[in-house]
Amino acid sequence: MKIKIKLIGPLIYEAGFSEKDIEVPAGTTAGAILHLLAIPEQRPKIVTRNGNAVALDQVLADGDRIAVSPIYSGG
Amino acid sequence: MYGWTGNILRVNLSTKTHKKEPFSEEFAHKWVGGRGFACKILYDEVMPGTDPLGPDNKLIVALGPIAGIPAPNTGKCVVAAKSPLTGFYGDGNLGTRVSEHLRKAGYDAMIVEGKADRPTLIYVEDDKVEFLPADSIWGQGSYAANDYIYGKYGAGVGVLNIGQGGENLNRYAIIRSLEGRAGGRPGMGAVMGSKLLKAIVVKGTHPIPQADPAAMKKLGFGDLKKVHEIDKETGWSRQSTTGVLQFCNEVAGLPVRNFRKTHHPEAWHIDGERLNNARVATYGCPNCTMRCGITIHDDQGHESELDYENIGLLGSNLEIFDLPQVGCLNYLCDEYGLDTMSAGCVLSFYADAIDQGAVAGDFKFGDAMRAKQLLRMAALREGPIGNLLADGTLRMARAFGNNSLAYAMQVKGLEVAAYNCKFIPGQALAYGVSPIGAHHREAWIITFEIKHTTRESYGPEKAAKVIELQRIRGGMFEFLVACRFPWIELGWSLDNYPKYFNTITSLNWTLDDMWKTADRIYGMIKLNYLREFPNATREDDYPPAVWFDPANADTDGPIAGKVLERDKYDSLLQHYYDQRGYDNRGIPTKATLAKLGLEAEALAAEKFAALT
Repeated sequence: MKIKIKLIGPLIYEAGFSEKDIEVPAGTTAGAILHLLAIPEQRPKIVTRNGNAVALDQVLADGDRIAVSPIYSGG
Repeated sequence: MYGWTGNILRVNLSTKTHKKEPFSEEFAHKWVGGRGFACKILYDEVMPGTDPLGPDNKLIVALGPIAGIPAPNTGKCVVAAKSPLTGFYGDGNLGTRVSEHLRKAGYDAMIVEGKADRPTLIYVEDDKVEFLPADSIWGQGSYAANDYIYGKYGAGVGVLNIGQGGENLNRYAIIRSLEGRAGGRPGMGAVMGSKLLKAIVVKGTHPIPQADPAAMKKLGFGDLKKVHEIDKETGWSRQSTTGVLQFCNEVAGLPVRNFRKTHHPEAWHIDGERLNNARVATYGCPNCTMRCGITIHDDQGHESELDYENIGLLGSNLEIFDLPQVGCLNYLCDEYGLDTMSAGCVLSFYADAIDQGAVAGDFKFGDAMRAKQLLRMAALREGPIGNLLADGTLRMARAFGNNSLAYAMQVKGLEVAAYNCKFIPGQALAYGVSPIGAHHREAWIITFEIKHTTRESYGPEKAAKVIELQRIRGGMFEFLVACRFPWIELGWSLDNYPKYFNTITSLNWTLDDMWKTADRIYGMIKLNYLREFPNATREDDYPPAVWFDPANADTDGPIAGKVLERDKYDSLLQHYYDQRGYDNRGIPTKATLAKLGLEAEALAAEKFAALT
């Protein structure tokens, strides 16, 4: 299935891209996407699925948009 | 007494006199500095009903015990007065060398009274105070005025100045410093302008009294280095605050089209990534090692320093998705000395009101050229439209009528910052109960709300989080005085701040002592509000009505079909009041005031309004 990844802020420079589509097998979780992106578990972050927070064990669906952002505090 | 110089400088522009006034240790420990000093002085000295733009209003410049001493990030000062925008206590902070110089000159605060008989520059050098004619820079923008001052006094002095917006009494005119820093959203620049005060220049040459200067030097410089290392490691300042734009766009929290929409497919044109690519310089405040001022060239070739609030409110909110054009609007605000946030809301409200048929006009969303003209007109109060726009959204809505107040994006007269709370109840509460109007400085809970609670919740945990953040952001950082960014953006521990405070003062405060002081200051500001508005109601703590309007719900995206619910918001507000010990109007009860040590201030308030 196809998942759109959106990275925010400094994560862009670490991963080398800001947005791209990836193909993953059915049953892939949000946590597996982070693993795929090599984002360390302990790094403070917020992960959203289609604009709302997602638990890392949640199984994704075809066409989902996953955004990973540092924890911002609103300036 | 270590940590404080123990003196306030009082200057009177009408009589061209000044006085060095000592304050007691009790005063220092009770109000600490910055916002604490400012709200107490204004409560005692500026009576309800005072014209904010008249000679009886007073401008306060206030510092705290850690201000100006090298440590993360202490190059800030608080400016405060009765606000011409909101009609009660208003303040703001800005990065400036005044923080260090005023303290080195021997003062923890400055009170500016009266009104000059001609444009004036106040020059302070230690015990010397001069009232100098400023006719040659009156009418000039803030950059030119700053250049003149640096040319005359050298680039190392502390400067606070205004642009034409403040001179012309635009109600959201700010105070400027260091060719890029600005503060005092609720019209502190207009208060300076009303006094014909173009600039304050300060040079201090004495050491700031500290209990253990050697220990503080080691601690402060060491920690500045550590903060710099964390910034490098996390890469935060690659985009600084502007990374927030994509986050808000993702979670439907971006202001678009006067907050009618919450996200936009073209937002990427003005995001942090594009800004970083266009960067030509980076600026920061004194004593800062995580400089956030990303600067680009605008469409006219000016350097324009942008943060998230600027691009959110002058960009997406106006549906202008061209970075150099947004840069130009930002540059004009800086040059004229206008608050970018209020200016963005004023322009978007004007376009929306025209769209809705509430008023006739020729300004449309996306029209950057006309936006530039309107900013100039607002700054100079040119013609009836400029005059109207210079008064802010609340007064504009009163003039337009036609139910336009519902979408005037303000609380208590202060325009909202760049977070669209159409379906973010806790942040809507943070705007509602911010003590000076809709400022994001006091509390920002969007990440907490989305990550750790359900977005639909209006539960007590959100009220508790708002209070926790108010104590830190609107409290401790504003009275110590320091920038909150090392903590909020890099995770620099809060425990460091009592450590700095105690090393400087030889006291033994904990974070709990900080929170008690913060609560006292919030109580003080609420009493100020009640005294000015004796008929205050809980409705005053509501966000703009459009966020409750189902007709305004998004038609697509993460919050399609959803808006805030009025009954539930009211219950969230009640949670906040209950946890704060405030009554049903949002005013501290007598019992709470006694607990905060505000018995005398409560008695003074009761001459004007009833307490419960």
